[in-house]
Amino acid sequence: MPPVLEVENVTKVYKSSGRGVEGASLQVERGEVFGLMGPNGSGKSTLLGVVSTRIKPDEGSFRVCGLDGVRERRKVRAKLGLMVDRPTHYGDLTAWANAYLFASFYGMDEKKAERALAELFEYFDLAEYRDDKAKTFSYGMGKKLALIEAMAHDPELLLLDEPSVGLDYTSQLAYQRKIRDLASSGTAIVLASNQVDEVETLCDRVAFLHRGRIVTTGTPDELISTLEGLQRVVARLRVPVEYDPVLEVEGVRQVVTEGRDLVIHCEERSGIVADVVAALVRAGGDIVTLSVRRPNLEDVYVKLTGEALRDEDQPAG
Amino acid sequence: MKINPPDSYWKKDVVLFFSRRFALALKFLYPIALIVPVAASGIPPQYGAAVVGIVALMAGTFGAGESLTTDINDGILVRLAMTPRSPYRITFEILAVNAVLDFLQLLPALIITYILHPAPAIWLAATTFAVFLTLFAANCIGIFIANFTTSPADVLLYATAILFPLIYLSGFFRNRHPTGALATIRDFIPFSYMNDALGVVFGLRGTFTPAEIFVYPAIICALVAAAVCLTGPKLLSPRT
Repeated sequence: MPPVLEVENVTKVYKSSGRGVEGASLQVERGEVFGLMGPNGSGKSTLLGVVSTRIKPDEGSFRVCGLDGVRERRKVRAKLGLMVDRPTHYGDLTAWANAYLFASFYGMDEKKAERALAELFEYFDLAEYRDDKAKTFSYGMGKKLALIEAMAHDPELLLLDEPSVGLDYTSQLAYQRKIRDLASSGTAIVLASNQVDEVETLCDRVAFLHRGRIVTTGTPDELISTLEGLQRVVARLRVPVEYDPVLEVEGVRQVVTEGRDLVIHCEERSGIVADVVAALVRAGGDIVTLSVRRPNLEDVYVKLTGEALRDEDQPAG
Repeated sequence: MKINPPDSYWKKDVVLFFSRRFALALKFLYPIALIVPVAASGIPPQYGAAVVGIVALMAGTFGAGESLTTDINDGILVRLAMTPRSPYRITFEILAVNAVLDFLQLLPALIITYILHPAPAIWLAATTFAVFLTLFAANCIGIFIANFTTSPADVLLYATAILFPLIYLSGFFRNRHPTGALATIRDFIPFSYMNDALGVVFGLRGTFTPAEIFVYPAIICALVAAAVCLTGPKLLSPRT
């Protein structure tokens, strides 16, 4: 059976910014959850835009369920479920009417649509708000409505751009459970996210994007195992300081800032945490909290690219 | 036929149209407020006809262009276009439903005008049809403009630039009795048929027969609509 999604050397560069995606190739199998990770501007959304048929690639090709993504766009769209990073709805229509409109556009008949939507509204705790106008919804409720619209027609390939941002904890758990259920029933899922925990929990394989290029692909465990013998020390400082002394500590590989946190990637050797703390204190740092953690996908990204996965102005965690 | 929940673009627009009561009242009052005082006054007939015509042109062109650019900016239109539904069909539905809803808004004012200026039934029918076709053509212009801009303010600018020469050529105010090339061009502009029919309602002698008013602008509008629907893929594509 061919992969649900085959992307070959896809390039799309925006003339205005010079950013985009270059030479991207990947495959996603039936029932697989595939993660795309990379900082803002790394090309995740552009790649999803190409695969969703929203953006025409400059070069390369892609196939969805064997259909040519450039030449057979409408047939491809029928196979896709799509959630964009900033979902919008018709504010003066009810949540139900919005979802029903999309279900109809995907060719669902009335009975099928009503059954699928009722189930999803119940699942995502929106049943009691189904007759409220979409403009009264909070950001998180709007995201859940967008998830319902993406899933209702039982797509073969589900494309999700930052799906969990804005969801409360309970909704995140419900959404993650749903993703695993869909994957078990054969849906292929591509997930663009920088939520490390979410990607590690959900994804069977992950691709890292850096400046428009896929730098590596693998299972989360494979990728993290490349950092064996390393650990991350996360220090939250009251006031940011120059951290050059920390870089001089023996065994420290890299230091990056993530929001208010200073993340120090270092070898696992005895005494290194004390040395790092001492260096921080020497640099004038007032440590508010300190934690030592096993490496995660974020550390793999830093090791491969030398850059943080999240922007400095984005809160870590 | 079930309208709500909507299963097509046109039903969605109908539901939205009737969902905002205050806005709905304003939509019906606006043409009445503009047209009825003019129709009730002793204004020369050609100007009475021109005012009704201008209101129809503005309602059609600005309404379609502005609502479309708003939806394009929201991203909702592009999201809808990512479904398997044909962009040509969506564009046609946008065009048709906007024209019909604009016509509904204008109808009360038009009926009051007919009461104030009774005319033979065939002329009333021809005038009503010509007004609808004008709204249809004006919506085509609005949709065409939305292909090139996402700014509602730009829509006003572009619409004015397109409508002014068409208003001149249609003989609303000047160029009322064109000859030669100007007369030929006028025959290809749907608005001129409406202006002529409204002139008859207001008491002028018409240039076209009712049959011509039924047939010619309908053919022209069908061709223009087909051309506008062909822009569907571009209209519904993301703007960068």
